[in-house]
Amino acid sequence: MTEPDRGPRGFERAPADPRPERSEIDALLRAVARGDDAAFARLYDLLSPRVFGLARRVLRDPAQAEEMAQEVLVEVWRTASRFDTERGSGLSWVLTIAHRRTVDRVRSEQASTDRMHRVAAASAEVPYDEVADQVGTRLERQQVRRCLDGLTPLQKEAITLAYYGGHTYREVATLLGAALPTIKTRMRDGLIRLRDCLSVEVTP
Amino acid sequence: MTSPDIHALGGAYALDAVDDLERVAFDRHLRECETCALEVAEYRETVTRLADGTWSVPPPRMREQVLARAAATPQLPPNGRRRDAPSPVARWRRLTAAAAVVGVLGIGAAATTYTVQEQRLGEERAAVAQAQQRADRIQAVLAAPDAALHAGDLTGGGRVSVVVSDSEDAGVVVLADAPPPGPDRAYQLWLVPEGSVTPVSAGVLPAGRAEATQLIDGVRGRAAFAVSLEPAGGSPQPSTTPLVGISLV
Repeated sequence: MTEPDRGPRGFERAPADPRPERSEIDALLRAVARGDDAAFARLYDLLSPRVFGLARRVLRDPAQAEEMAQEVLVEVWRTASRFDTERGSGLSWVLTIAHRRTVDRVRSEQASTDRMHRVAAASAEVPYDEVADQVGTRLERQQVRRCLDGLTPLQKEAITLAYYGGHTYREVATLLGAALPTIKTRMRDGLIRLRDCLSVEVTP
Repeated sequence: MTSPDIHALGGAYALDAVDDLERVAFDRHLRECETCALEVAEYRETVTRLADGTWSVPPPRMREQVLARAAATPQLPPNGRRRDAPSPVARWRRLTAAAAVVGVLGIGAAATTYTVQEQRLGEERAAVAQAQQRADRIQAVLAAPDAALHAGDLTGGGRVSVVVSDSEDAGVVVLADAPPPGPDRAYQLWLVPEGSVTPVSAGVLPAGRAEATQLIDGVRGRAAFAVSLEPAGGSPQPSTTPLVGISLV
């Protein structure tokens, strides 16, 4: 990937997603739905670093992330017939399963009250900029980083706390000291901006 | 079951930042609103890009393990339903499994239920079978065409959501973020019959427990739902002021 220019943080459209494997993932999922073992092995090779990486990022524990990634990938095998190309890419379908399950794990393992207290306490010590910074420095994809940087600070914080932290919008509102409707709106507006910046489209 | 601001929930929904019942409500909303479904599909596609930078190579042993587990796992047949959000089946199963094992195995066992066939047989099987019956009931309530979501905040903290279905004559209660009641106290659920002021117990949570997903039976003809704090084991009638009262009509 070529280094994008580091111009002003505008909302010019970034180049289209360069990853070549997207259509291959869709085709592999359809083959897996027919019980094709070899296709599943290939799909594993393409997707396991993404699934494992996402689980690891949210759970912050490699052993738990490994367990979670296994569960998700077997679930992909089991439910491949439910993948619908009209509702988005195969990659998105798989990562949606991965994210939901990982977030479910985070929430079910810790009593919410304890978690909120812990998070609230931590939030007093750790400035949000740091959270956002971690997100920023670890993002390999310059395009995504550039688009995230184009959001307002509240949009960016709300989205990153929810996605990488596994927090509900209620928790995010508490963390950021903002009203619930404000957070809901920022999440949506932020995603719309990101969508436009990343040129994401779903063709029905 | 639409609320005026359900539309605004699309971003939080795509980020998995909603609770289970809000997800249920929003899933229903999406089935009725084609443009919303397309919009959310785009949000999801966008959200997926946030995972771009989290790439990490798993331990090599994982490959063989996943392929072996897949080889031993039957696949779902294609279903006729289209327009489904990604993997609603998985979500339902997790939700209902989590719901049903409360008080039996604990919420954390949801994932265990999933892999129980290959990993944990023996005594857990009986518990899971029992849990499965409850899971089926809960799923029936949540999937009922007349299911309606009600929610309220508890005095002193916490939130309770109730999905009731007259056709199933049952409801699903989710209590979250409430303060732990102490070892000798328990949250008790109540239903108030129409035209009456005398609540009828709809179940007692285990002592000390502040989080639950509970199936309640006999919601037909009930005008209100309430939660109170009682001595462990519950009371025949509320002995304290209800922490929340929710109209079901």
